Amino acid sequence: MDSMKNIIISRRKVLKAGAVATFALALGISPTVLNADTAQDAPKNPDQLGFMYDQEKCINCKLCAKACNDTNKWEEGAEWRRVLVGKEDSKNFLSYSCNHCEKPACAQVCPVKAYRKREEDGIVVQNPEVCVGCKYCMYACPYHSPQFSPDTGRISKCHFCYERQDQGNKPACVSVCPTGALNYGKLTELRKTSSGVAQLEGLPNPELTKPSWVIIPKA
Amino acid sequence: MEMHWHWLIVIYLFLGGLGAGAYLTSFAAEKGWLGSNSRLKKVGYYIAAPIVAFGTVLLVFDLGQGLYKPWLLVRLLLNFGSVMTWGVYILAAFIVVGLVKAFLVFKNKQAPEALGWVGAGLALATGAYTGLLLSVIEAVPFWNSFMMPILFVVSALSTGLSVTTVVAHFMEKQGSANIKENQVHLSLVAAELIVVVIFFGLMSLGAKGPVGAQSAASVVSGPYAIVFWGYFIALGLLFPLVVFVLENIHLKQSAQKVVAEPSLTETESSAKAQSGHQSYLVLVSDFSVVVGGLALRALIIFAALPIWDGTIL
Repeated sequence: MDSMKNIIISRRKVLKAGAVATFALALGISPTVLNADTAQDAPKNPDQLGFMYDQEKCINCKLCAKACNDTNKWEEGAEWRRVLVGKEDSKNFLSYSCNHCEKPACAQVCPVKAYRKREEDGIVVQNPEVCVGCKYCMYACPYHSPQFSPDTGRISKCHFCYERQDQGNKPACVSVCPTGALNYGKLTELRKTSSGVAQLEGLPNPELTKPSWVIIPKA
Repeated sequence: MEMHWHWLIVIYLFLGGLGAGAYLTSFAAEKGWLGSNSRLKKVGYYIAAPIVAFGTVLLVFDLGQGLYKPWLLVRLLLNFGSVMTWGVYILAAFIVVGLVKAFLVFKNKQAPEALGWVGAGLALATGAYTGLLLSVIEAVPFWNSFMMPILFVVSALSTGLSVTTVVAHFMEKQGSANIKENQVHLSLVAAELIVVVIFFGLMSLGAKGPVGAQSAASVVSGPYAIVFWGYFIALGLLFPLVVFVLENIHLKQSAQKVVAEPSLTETESSAKAQSGHQSYLVLVSDFSVVVGGLALRALIIFAALPIWDGTIL
């Protein structure tokens, strides 16, 4: 009699545990179904803005980063825009900041909703005032765009100079580029550049977050 | 690339699993799943919510604004699309339910059946959450595996059972250790070993790409190899596995011996079979299970490599 009771309970337990485990499993499998459209296809938002960077024209003067810092007053330790130099003095450069992605992973994971994607132009704006400094976005962003300042204990990042843009000005970085290597515009237009790509070798697959940038790689 | 999360997060994830496992241990004991007259029916309830709450406090210290602008923390409840927000709800609910359940158990009052089940559901959710938090990050291939919540839940159950056993040994007078409990723990450790082999096997084979394989290599044969093989595999899994197997054989033998003596009544024989005290070797192995659980969290957090290392060719 006693063993009978045990069996019934354990079966129920097994069923419940199984159901919960299945649920946990289902949650754990992140939906990585590949979409038919590639990152080079037209963006969902026809007014999405993006950066365009011509690797051939860049001379690594770093004026873009300097102008960004002058305009946006980076918090200690937070670099909104960087110019990378290729390994072994390859003379390959990459000036980049935030790609204002179509699927911004930062906004997805941020528990306090510090990120918002503007409907009018797709700019991803982060509000440092409400950031709690959990750094979850730093792991989520494949491009290391969210930057943490140990000084202020919070994240900040490139906001595409949206306030300047709202007043009809160009983003600070673009406005100072002496060679015209760095540009910006509507992504639908930028994507018409025949030699433009969304990924350099070694960089993250653009399918991850669908970055709003076009790179013209060195031939 | 520099790491963004450090020891406080490691301990927070570890304690989340430990507390959840402790609750589920007492829940299982209460339901009779850990053998009759288990001594684990209460202790797990007492320690569960305080352990998780302590971990949560540590997390607050880790937040850049935790001590600076703590009122911003209310906003942690805002983004229903963020796993971290889910976690805040799950942990808060678990701590509350866990405390109520512990209070009722302490007062020897009958808690509603539903309360116990809700707590168990939340405990399981807490354990799964600590893994899910990491597994949804696609930009860190080492974390981005459906195995992560499974690994963390199994480890949570195992470490929770261990910590409850150790605390009960010193604090709980009623009930006894028995073979069922031993068998459950043996299967948990064995299951964890299997999950670990599959996880690192898949990672190393490149199931999550070269960066995932690189992370796995840093654990298995790189800078974290000593922690992995020493603390996690040897101390946290293999040593307890051997001890539990030996204990199992020992318990079975003494049970047979008792059956062979017909002079004893049935209750006496079963009482003798379930030797009243845990052997010290079992206690030591329980302690090393807990250490292994902490080592596992540390390895997973510290070996995380981003999908892009921030350099160009």
